[in-house]
Parts: sequence; C-alpha cells; structure tokens
Amino acid sequence: MSDKPGNQENQDKEGRAGFLARLTALETIVLAGILLIALAGLMLVGKGFYMKAKAEVSQVLLKRSFEAQLQGETNVKPWPWADFSTEAEITAPRIGKTAVVLSGASGEALAFGPARLANTPAPGEPGTSVIAAHRDTHFRWLKDVKPGDLLVVTRNDGTNLTFRAGSSRIARWDQSGINANAPGRNLVLATCWPFDAAEQGPLRYIMNAELVADADPSTLAAQGESGKLPVKSF
Amino acid sequence: MLLDTENSAKRPSRMTARHIEYAIVAALAALTLVLLFVMGVFSHAVAETNDGKPQRLAGYVRPNDMGTGALLFPSKEPGSFVEAPRLATDVVIDVNGPIIRTRVTQRFQNPSKGWVEGTYVFPLPENSAVDTLKMQIGDRFIEGEIKAREEARKVYEEAKAEGKKTALLEQQRPNIFTNQVANIGPGETIVVQIEYQSSVHQSGGEFSLRFPMVVAPRYNPDPIIQTVDLDPKSGYAVNDPVPDRDKIAAPVLDPAENARINPVTLTVNLNAGFPLGTVTSPFHQTDMQTVDDMARTISLKGGSVPADKDFALSWNAIAGKTPNAGLFRETQGGKTYLLGFVTPPAGSAVTETPAKREVIFVIDNSGSMAGPSIEQARDSLALAISKLKAEDKFNVVRFDDTMEVHFPTLVQATPDKREDAIAFVRGLTADGGTEMLPALEAALRTQGPVEPGALRQVVFLTDGAIGNEAQLFEEISKNRGEARVFTVGIGSAPNTHFMTKAAEIGRGTFTLIGSEDQVAARMGELFAKLENPVMTDIAADFDGANARDITPNPMPDLYRGEPVVLTAQLDGATPAGKLQITGKTGNQPWRIEMDVAKASEGQGIAKLWARRKIDDLEANAYAVNDQAALDKQIETVALANHLVSRVTSLVAVDVTPSRPTGEPVVSTDLPLNLPEGWDFEKVFGEKPQQAMPEGERKASLERSEQQAMMVADRMAAAPTARAASVIADAGKQVDLPQTATLADRHILIGLLLLAFALMAATTFSLWRWQLRGLALEASDRV
Repeated sequence: MSDKPGNQENQDKEGRAGFLARLTALETIVLAGILLIALAGLMLVGKGFYMKAKAEVSQVLLKRSFEAQLQGETNVKPWPWADFSTEAEITAPRIGKTAVVLSGASGEALAFGPARLANTPAPGEPGTSVIAAHRDTHFRWLKDVKPGDLLVVTRNDGTNLTFRAGSSRIARWDQSGINANAPGRNLVLATCWPFDAAEQGPLRYIMNAELVADADPSTLAAQGESGKLPVKSF
Repeated sequence: MLLDTENSAKRPSRMTARHIEYAIVAALAALTLVLLFVMGVFSHAVAETNDGKPQRLAGYVRPNDMGTGALLFPSKEPGSFVEAPRLATDVVIDVNGPIIRTRVTQRFQNPSKGWVEGTYVFPLPENSAVDTLKMQIGDRFIEGEIKAREEARKVYEEAKAEGKKTALLEQQRPNIFTNQVANIGPGETIVVQIEYQSSVHQSGGEFSLRFPMVVAPRYNPDPIIQTVDLDPKSGYAVNDPVPDRDKIAAPVLDPAENARINPVTLTVNLNAGFPLGTVTSPFHQTDMQTVDDMARTISLKGGSVPADKDFALSWNAIAGKTPNAGLFRETQGGKTYLLGFVTPPAGSAVTETPAKREVIFVIDNSGSMAGPSIEQARDSLALAISKLKAEDKFNVVRFDDTMEVHFPTLVQATPDKREDAIAFVRGLTADGGTEMLPALEAALRTQGPVEPGALRQVVFLTDGAIGNEAQLFEEISKNRGEARVFTVGIGSAPNTHFMTKAAEIGRGTFTLIGSEDQVAARMGELFAKLENPVMTDIAADFDGANARDITPNPMPDLYRGEPVVLTAQLDGATPAGKLQITGKTGNQPWRIEMDVAKASEGQGIAKLWARRKIDDLEANAYAVNDQAALDKQIETVALANHLVSRVTSLVAVDVTPSRPTGEPVVSTDLPLNLPEGWDFEKVFGEKPQQAMPEGERKASLERSEQQAMMVADRMAAAPTARAASVIADAGKQVDLPQTATLADRHILIGLLLLAFALMAATTFSLWRWQLRGLALEASDRV
C-alpha cells in the first residue's frame, strides 16, 4: 500500500510511522512482540558467540603474556584488570592442539582458558596437578586424547614436561577421588561430561596422565638440563 | 479516493479479519507456550541433574565422615573406603583439674586375603596435642617417634618399600591427622593406641568433655526398596554393591548390634579439683563411683553405646563453690609451666544493653568471585545489613581492581539506608582484578574516629585470592586501632590461611561459608559474636616472676560465658610472684591477681603450652620473613615436647617382635611378651558379651564373621601404595569446577527464538498480504 504515497499526506508527515499508523492496535502489538522475540534471540545467539569468541581471542593475549613470561618478565598480566596470570602451556602433539593454562580455576578464569586448580601442585611437582577447562571451548579436544598419547606442558619457568595420558573416567564433581598429594608426578585434565550436552551437569570427565621420566629427547632437548625433573626438597 | 475505498472495502472483510486476528493470537499463544515448555524442560533438566545425587554406596565410607576412630581400607570404588572390622575399643580419660589426658586403644582386623595398607582416622577435639602412637600389627610392636615431617615420611616410605611394618602419623590441619599403616598381613589384627592432651571446656560454670563415638553413616539399604540407580544422562546403572545381600546382617547402625560387634569400654577418672556437684553423661548410661568429694570414676554400662552420639560428660561444683579462677603448674626440665583460667564476672556486662556498633562491610567483587561465590557473598552481606539496629552505624565498601565506598561517611542504620545498601550489594557483579589494600585502608583509616563507647567492627567478605598477604597483615596490625576485623571466607577454596591470620591480627574471628545453605547458620554465629562481646583488651603479665612466653598472644576478646585460659612458661623450678590479668567490660576496667607460688600441681601442662606456642608461632608467620626459620622454631618446640605438628610427624618403627621368628602366628592368640609400659590387655582378654547365652553368642560371632566377609568383599582387589595414600589425605579430595559454559545453550535457545520470530513474521505478512488482496478486490469491485 505504501506504493501509493501521494494519497497519504498526513501519514507521510509522520515518515516512518506511516506504515505502523495503518496497523490496528492489535497488529502493532503482535509486530512488536515478534520484534522483541527476534531481538532476544539475536542477543542470546550473540551472547553465546561472544562467550566462544572471548575464549578464542583471549588465548591470543594469553599466549603473548605467556611468551613474555618465558622471556623472564615477571608480574605480567594478560590485561591490566585480569584477575589471574598465565602459568603454563599444554599441547597435545598428536592432535595438534594447544592452550595456555591460567592460575587458579576460580570464578571467571575458566572463561578465558584452562586453569590449574589452586589447591593442587604445579604440573611436574610431586602430587597430582589438576587442569580444568570448558568442554565446549578449550578442552573440546579432550575427548580425542587417547590413552598413550603424549601431552607436553611448558611451564612459565621454561621447564618442558612430557606426560603420558592414561585411563579416563567419569565422576561427580564432588566425588572426583583425585588426591592432590598422591605419590608420583601426575597430571589430571578435567572437563564436563557428557561432551555434547547443552546444559551444565554434575558429571566430569577425568583424564589421568603421568610424567614420563625418560621423555623423548627431542622434547626436552631445548632444556639445558634435559630430563632433569624439577625436584623440590622431598 | 483510494483511502475511502479501502475503508469501505474493509467493512465487508472485517469479519474475516477478526477471525484471522483470533487465529493469529491463538497461534502466538500456542507458540509461546511451546517455547516456554522447551525452556522449562531445559531448566528442569538442570535441576534434576543437580538434585539427582547418587546415593552413597552402602557400606562405603569417606574419611571426612568418620565420627570416631576407624581403620579404613581403599575400596573398589575410587574415593570410597571400607571400614576394617573394629573388634574392641578401650578408652581411658584422666581429668586432672583443667587438663584431660585421653588414651584410646582399638583393635581392628584385616579381613582380606592380601597385604594391605590402611589409614587410621580419628577425629580429635579442637586443640588437642597428640604425642603418643603405639601399634601392634600382627606379631610386631611398633612405637611412634617424633621426627621432622619430611624425614618421617622418608623413613616410612623406605620401611614400606622393604616390606616392613610401619606407621606414619601426620598432621593435615590443626585438628585433622591421618595415620597410615603399611604392610598389614592377611587376616592380621591391628591394635592402635594413641594418646593426646587437651583441656576441659568451660562455659557458664559448667565443665565438660567430649569423646567422639559417632559411627559413620554406613548402612545396607533394605533389599525391598533397592532399585537400580540409572543415571538419566549416561544410562549407566550402579551395580548392586552387595551381591549376596540376603546373607548380610542387620544395619550396622543399630546401636545394640553395634555394641555387640564393636564393644567399647570407657573409663573416666575425674578429679575436678573442687567439690563436685552433679556429674552427668547426657547420652550414655554410666556407672559412677565416688572416690572422694572431688573425684569420681565413671564407666560405661555394658551395652550402652548409642552409635549416633558422642560420649559427653559434664560436671559442676556444689553451689557456691564454682571456681572462677584457677592456676596449675608443672615443672619440666628446670622450667615451670603454668595453666591459668579465669571466668570474668558475668552479671554486669550481660545485663547491660549491648554497645552501639559501627560496622564497615567490605565485599570483594573481583573476577575470582564470579559464580556461586559472589551470590553467597551478596546473600551473607544483605543478611548482615538487615540485622543492623537503628542505633548502629555502618558503611559498605566494595573492591575489585577499583574501589567504591557506598556512603561518604558512616551512616545511621535507618531502614531506608539499609534498603539502599542492600540494593547496592544486590547489584554487584564479579569482574576485574583483586586490589585489596586500598579497600582495607578505606575501611580502617577513612571512616572517622570511633565514637566513645561504640564498637568498631570491620567485616571482610572475600575468597582471599591475593598475593600481597604480608602487606595486608601489616596494614591491619598498624591501623586496626580500636577496630576488630572479622573475616568471612567465601567459595569452595578460599584462602583460609590469609583470612584466619587477618582475623587473628585484627582480634576478630574467621567464619567460613562453603556453600549457599551454610549462609544463614554461619552468619548467625557471627552475628552472635558481633552483637555480644563481653570483655575486650585482655592482657596478662607477671609481676615478680620471669615469664618468657605467655600464650595466647595477643589475648582474644571474650564472648558470653567463656573463660580466659592462658598458659605460660616461667624460668626456674620454683618461681614466685603474681599473675595479673586485666581487661575491660564496656568502659569498666577489670583486674585479677593470682599468686604463682600457690598454684597446684598438674600434669601435661608443658604439652598444652607447647601446642599453644606452636599455634602462636603459626599465627605470627606473617611477621617472619624467613619461612625456614619459623619452621625450625616450630620443629624445636614440637620435638622437645614430642608433639605432632605441621612440621613434625610421628613415625612408628619396629621395636620388638613379640615372638621369636619362625614361631607360627595365630591371630586369636593373646600376644606374649608385651614391651614394658605397654598396656593392651583391655582390648584383648575377655569380651563383655561372654556372659550371654550360647545361642546368642554364636549368632553374634556369626554376625561379626559376616561383617568381616562383607568388608573383605568390598576391598579393592590389590590395594596399592597409591590407593592407600589416597585415603591418607582424602580429606583433601579435589572438587572439580563447573566446566561447561552456557554458550551452546544460549545459541540454541537464541536460534529457536529467531526461528519463531521468522515464522511469526511470515504469518503476519501473509495475513497483511491477504488483507491487501481483499482491499484490492474491493476497490476493483468499486
């Protein structure tokens, strides 16, 4: 109907409102409702993608901050208001995935990268170090890690450590059975389970890995003292 | 013209339009319903997965649940354990004045056919000093020696690797210790004896002690209600953990049954030091013998062992003889150790109207608090603000890497100010870094002087995820002035070390809130303290005697009914002089003097002093830059007094074999040559139920045999060293964080909404199109 503008002087004056003005009240409400729903949908989709993008993009900044740490800079923060610092880098060479690990898996740290639980030792120290990350972002690849795969952890002090993935299991978050002080130098990677669920649940997927003492020399060659473990007084 | 025609055309079609309108409204409503339903299903699914906590498997226990002494073996279920059959328990508690010495002897059995490593857990009363560990494993006797922690662990690991019998008792936290026992042979019996020192609890003229006896929640589900527990997500079912269920006896928790299977003998030698009034044991039937007017011997009546209640004993003095002060001493190694207690006069302070309060709440809304932590913090703080009285003053400070003080100065807690502050708190979100120092400075320094007679309290809610602890401690100790700093720890893994120390330096208390459902209860306890302080500024000093160490230092504030309890080390074996204790109730000073030379003799005071000394050293750790030196200091005190501490452990070494090698071992035999000074007879020897009729005795024997079989059945097939150490500190089992974002769900719901909107828009435009068609048709007709 708007193709006949000449006949609608009063409506033309209102410009954009012209189309709306010809709708009945009910039609306006219906249209507004549709628009609102569309907007809410867009916002939700946007929010979802924003979370994913945040996870991806922050890894770039984290990577930069981690490299600065490797250069010997101390007290580097990925961005000035960050509430965490980078601590290590974990790589799964067989599937070609890598991620920068943060300190302290509390609050929002997990939105930016995998994080080591603060109440567990650093990877390579005696005990069991636990690194957790979201199943739908940073640890999306955890399901592809098979027993026997090597996992390389580079700590921010430059130490390169190789772990061999072992068994995996599923447990409730509060019944993990993980002992931070277990003998040996172990690494546990944890994420939510089931992998493709859309809701948050109580189950976790737990992948055990053990430090390989006589690791592949090529991995450790970069180190001055290759193969030497970071031994703390014990 | 067209406008007219359109209007006229609309009239005949109005009826149709109405119908379409109704249809559209109905369609919209239906779609909205469908949408809501879909979303409802989602949230419902979440709720279900959170509530559908699998029932704890029957018969399995977790170390944290243990309410009494028990020997645990790792089970087939990771993270769960089975309790070794407890064959007998004997407890002797000696009370001398304010000092308690407890000796617990327990006999267990390894029911399996393998060599195992077990962990002995025993919940201890607060501030107990553990100094003795003796064990018999099979035919070997071993006795704990105090060693530096690392050294002790090394000795243990070496002995274990060599297949020797060995045990290691370590402190995990100040009142949690674990005792690992290695190389227990098949069918062997283990006897554990521990001794610890503690002090009598006093409150409002009532003296009491408590001994842990609660049997951990452990039961066999009734076969009738047994269902296969299918996990809704994975479709996994948890196997029936007890295949031969029909053979199993009644639930272990039945007290009468428990008494038969786990006979307990308990004796209290009570020597109160004052004429005794009434002595009661609220939960157990006892036999009481009167020794003299100050002493009683109390023992459990046979079979009276409720498994769900700790043994408690309370006593008071005959009317008018309640001691409000006491002084005891022990001489050891040329030094005198003193234990003194004073109950401040209750009347005046309690009846007085509570003092006005000036409360500054500081809340951490940094990124590390994101998620449930900030919710708990918001709830706790809102609750705290709502509890303020109109005559109180308050302010709220929030901080992340920025900081904001809500009111320019302290304001009167009128209802609208409280509402205002609560709204502010409710609106906080967690983001950004943690810069605690400016907030602390704001709370301690910029809130103006304390009004005379008012109590200044700073309540600090945080997870304590900070790196500059030392700086913060310094700030508190320098600028606390009259203020008391109370810390509230939030979240699953708050930095309790920081918060405990901060509260100690700030002369307040530390409250830990681990989950949402603890908010009300824990905050309630805190409010009681915030509102009713009885005595402040307590100090003790010696006039004429050379006191080197008085603990605790500084003295904490007292709350209703609590006594001042202090220990001190004095030079020389026969000191003289006076002990003075001063304090303030409200504005009124209070002072008491006691003559040191008149102190009565007591035993174990040196150990209590050492335990408190270690606590003090730990508390002042922030002031010591050299951690190694501090550890050394603690080690020296602990080694000198044979105490288990953070840096020292008891490691048990083989003392004497009870039999010559080669002689066959029968586990039911009484041990022969007990080493001198060892007293294990009570847990061997005659069983209390020997008097029961033959049939019943047989049944009871059968039952304990079944129990043993049940345990053996559930033990891990070949418990490894690793599995054993899992229990050693399973108290520290790692909880895993939430590792699923809602991103996928957001996108999914968003797409659904978009699809819906698209559909609705199509319907809408179709309808409009139809209308236009009708209009055109009408105009054509014209």
